[in-house]
Amino acid sequence: MNLILLLVGGALGGVARYLAGRWIGDRTWHAPFPLPMLLVNLAGAFGLGLFLGGMYEGVPLGAYEDPLFLFVVIGFFGAFTTYSTFSVESVKLLEEKKYGALASYVLLSMAGSLLLFGIGFVLLL
Amino acid sequence: MFKNVTAIALGAAAGTLLRYILNLWTLETGYPLGTLLENTMGSLVLGALTGYFFVKVPAEWLKLGLGVGLCGGFTTFSTYASDTFYLAFEQSISAVMIYNGITLIGGISCALLGMILGHKLASRGHVKRGERA
Repeated sequence: MNLILLLVGGALGGVARYLAGRWIGDRTWHAPFPLPMLLVNLAGAFGLGLFLGGMYEGVPLGAYEDPLFLFVVIGFFGAFTTYSTFSVESVKLLEEKKYGALASYVLLSMAGSLLLFGIGFVLLL
Repeated sequence: MFKNVTAIALGAAAGTLLRYILNLWTLETGYPLGTLLENTMGSLVLGALTGYFFVKVPAEWLKLGLGVGLCGGFTTFSTYASDTFYLAFEQSISAVMIYNGITLIGGISCALLGMILGHKLASRGHVKRGERA
């Protein structure tokens, strides 16, 4: 049962990322750096912060046997956010010598996700 | 559209399962080694797919299922954020710096290496760019 919840959470997260990414991409195609995965990752980090802070006040003991944790944290938010696309898009900006855009993209992704995770975490504590 | 979304759902479920297994394997290290391996290896694989598919253009559902689904579901940004907070509170600032440094530099280096390898692999033989594999 736990495994099914994990798989369903992951599938939902992946499809939600694709649909959200397309929706954002259609509206921000003129942006200087790729916004879809930046915004998806920021939203996912914020959502994970909210959930972990509000539901568990941290990462619970025995998290890997907890069906809700597997479904929401490892499944949904794990698959909703992505790192591989971030790396590949960074390499593309590097190859195009868009160093300013690269620096903004990396900084906003990493520092932004930490900040939003932190805010989300304390919001519902 | 239905075919594409189904491929992404299946790919993401498989990626999530692999990430879960790797996390369980590395749980007793007390360090977010699982996430680190997932994000670097996933970047390598997505880079390789990007390089390969640039030369040999695949069916859309296959590209989406492997890239957006499998690699996207295997790697994660949200856990990177929670791992960083865990290290900051439970370990040390140097652990945070090392984790972030390897995630960023390792991820980008792996993606670049993957792109070069994928491109080379697809360019072997006499297949012209844009030809359907």
